[in-house]
This record gives sequence, structure tokens and C-alpha cells, in this order.
Amino acid sequence: MPRLPNLTLLFLAVLLALPARADWFGPDEPLVVTVNSAYIDVYSGPGRGYPIFHALEHGETITLLKSRTSWIKIATDKGVEGWIKREAMASTLDPSGQVPDFTDEYRSDAVVGRFELGAGFGDFGGADSVTATLGYRFTRNLTLEARYAQQAGSFSDSEIIAAGLLHQPFPEWRVSPFLSVGAGIIKIQPSATLVDTEDREDSVLQASLGTYVYLSRRFFMRLEYTNHYLLTTRENNDEVNEWRVGFNVFF
Amino acid sequence: MASRLQRIFLAALLALPGLLWAQEDDPLEPIVGADIERRDISEDMLDTENFEFGIYGGVLGIEDFGSNSVIGANLAYHITEDFFVEAIYGVSEANKTSYELLSGAVELLTDEEREFSYYVLSLGYKIFPGQVYFGSGTAFNTHFYITAGGGNTEFASNRYATYTFGAGYKFYATDWFALDIGMRDHLFTHELFGESRQTNNFEGRLGLSIFF
Repeated sequence: MPRLPNLTLLFLAVLLALPARADWFGPDEPLVVTVNSAYIDVYSGPGRGYPIFHALEHGETITLLKSRTSWIKIATDKGVEGWIKREAMASTLDPSGQVPDFTDEYRSDAVVGRFELGAGFGDFGGADSVTATLGYRFTRNLTLEARYAQQAGSFSDSEIIAAGLLHQPFPEWRVSPFLSVGAGIIKIQPSATLVDTEDREDSVLQASLGTYVYLSRRFFMRLEYTNHYLLTTRENNDEVNEWRVGFNVFF
Repeated sequence: MASRLQRIFLAALLALPGLLWAQEDDPLEPIVGADIERRDISEDMLDTENFEFGIYGGVLGIEDFGSNSVIGANLAYHITEDFFVEAIYGVSEANKTSYELLSGAVELLTDEEREFSYYVLSLGYKIFPGQVYFGSGTAFNTHFYITAGGGNTEFASNRYATYTFGAGYKFYATDWFALDIGMRDHLFTHELFGESRQTNNFEGRLGLSIFF
């Protein structure tokens, strides 16, 4: 059952992604805000490609119904229902006269469009590993990452070059869990003292579960468990588990 | 493995009522809620609807083993308005190969070995958002999507690493209920006939999804 840990990781991640406050069937008070800009476009669906079919006017009150990704479904007093961009919430006022809190803290929005550089050290199935990563955060939740790692073990040395996608369901949390998948190449050089010392180059798939621990605005610690799945040319694929601790900096 | 999957799902389901109850046990809620008119609104108060659960049925062409009915379930999480991830689990059963039919007596696989199941984890990208119209007053949202991912296929008492590529069309009857017409291609390599052979196993499917 070589793939099972990856699957378990996925479901753990799905569970983690469930909203912390599970008011899904909320019979709560409606969330009513007032439009505080000249107009707000209303789209027919939760995406920028759907047509704009209505415009909210200044001073109009709207009810917030639900959100999907970065879109919010609203209803007007006259019964028009549609979707507005999440950013449009900055152009509204809640009943207390404040702009509703749809702003992210520094740990999320502040770092969109930024690079992060990190180094980590870990245990790669008994071998020591050193990893360097370069990431680019292109949405609030997603970071694209390039990884280079070297492992030194008793029977063989290896290096991995990989690219990955990292998802943080709750980037605003101080301790923010993440899930990551990646793929790359592993080069394995068996120790010269062993017979049959042929160097190998295999594809490797990586699934990681870990957490960011934000230490300051620009700096965080990263704890991570990675499942490396080596697609070998031999009869069986290999699987290596890695534990890693690292530090990253935004720039 | 199926039973393990089921256990995880069931555990998740069992955990849900606990979460729902947890917020209702505060006796002070009505008193504190009295000044509701003056409250500040934050993003956490808003109901999110980023998960999608679906079931589907269709036809799976298992290369060399004929066309077979397939059923399955999928769970997706919509990350942004463009990207989503999905996990799929499907089951089917392989027919006889042409060789088995022509030769009469030869049986390449036992009945049990003909059971075919797969799971896939994919990243999806939504494209071409739009609307379709019924008459003059009704419009429905639609979009296409493409997916790519990998997983495992269990077939002939073996497990094969599988790559899956797919595309489909989604028709939203409401915001939270959609019809899914799609296809997937499951690629894996097996050696059932002696030599290594890369197979394309195309699947055409019709599914229903709810968002929650």
C-alpha cells in the first residue's frame, strides 16, 4: 500500500480546510451593509468572466448571503441576487458605520506577490537532508515553489530538484498549516564500496503537510513532513518519508 | 483500501455534528446578541461555500477489456475562482478481451481480478465562464474545466501508478447544484500481456454536484 500515506494526508488537509466556525446552516441575523461608493458591479456568477447585470447604487443596503472563493453573493432589498468581488467590501459600511473587516492581516495579503527564500534541515528516511526553497506567493493561499535538496546517507547520496505548489487554507493564522504537492527528479549515487554501483536518476513526487509559524512580519519557521514517492525503473517504486525544519524569509 | 477510505469519510461525518453543536451551547448568546444592530461585520461571519461533492456514472473504456460502466464520487475544494483540487474514487469491472472471446476457453483473469478501481488527486482549472439561456427570462451559469493529476489504479490484483487528464462542462442549475458532463483519461502501464504496455483508459461521465 505505498500510496496510502499520501491519501491520508489529503483527507487530513481537507479536514483542516473545514471552516473553524461551522455556521453553515446559520439562522443568524442577516449581514447587512450599505454601499459607500458611487456603484458596485454585480456579476451573475462567482467569477470575473460572468456578465455584469446590475449595479448597486450609493446608499443602497445589501444583504451578504455567502462567499465562494473571492466572491460574495448578495441580495438587494428589491430582491436582486448576484455576486460581487470580495474587494468591493472595502466600499461598504456595516451597521456600526465601519468598513467590514474583510482585510487580511499582514501574514496573508501583505505577502501576495512576494518571494520567499528558505532553507531547511531534516531526516530523509535515515539520511540527512539539506533543502533550499524559493517560493512565489501568487494568491492569498497559494505559493509556487522551487526546491533543491541534498541527502547524505550510509549507503547512498542523492539530490532532488523539484517544483511544487503549496496551499495554506488559513494564511492569516499565526501558526498556519499548509499542504503541498510537488514533482521533480532525484539523482541517487550509491556508495562506491557497494557492488552494482550504478547511478540512477528517477522522478520523484512529493506530498507535504506542515505548518508555518510566523515569527515576525518577514520571517517564519516552517515545520514539514514530506512523503517522497520515487518512480523508479525497477519493479517497485520507492517511498521515503522526510521530517524537516526550516526558516524562510519574505522579500 | 475502500473500507479505509470509507472509515475516513465516516469519521469526518461523525465529527461534523459535534462542530455544529459546539457553537450552540452558550447560554449568554441571546443577551450578548441584543445589540446586534450595532455589530461589526467580519469575513468570518459569512458562510463559505468552497467545497463540492459529486457522484457520477458513465462508461469507462478499459483498453483491451472493452467498454464498461463506471460509477464514482468526487470531492473538490475550490481554491480560487480559477483553481480547484479534486479527489475522485471510481469503480468498474473489466469485460473479456477479444482474444478470450474468440478462443472460447481461455480466461486471462479471474472474476475478482476483473474488478477495477482507481483514485485520483487532481488540480483543476476553470475556463470559459458563461451563461446559457432558456427562453427570454432564464439564464444559467456554466463553465468548462480541465484537470490533471495522478493516483493509483487497482486492477488484476495489481496497483498501477496512474496519470489522469480530464475536461468537462459544468451547468449550474442553482449556485449550489450543478450538472457535470465530463471525460477523463486514465493512463497507466501494465504488463498483463507479457510486455510493458501503456494504456489509455477513457471515461465519459455524467455527474451531479452540490456545493457546501
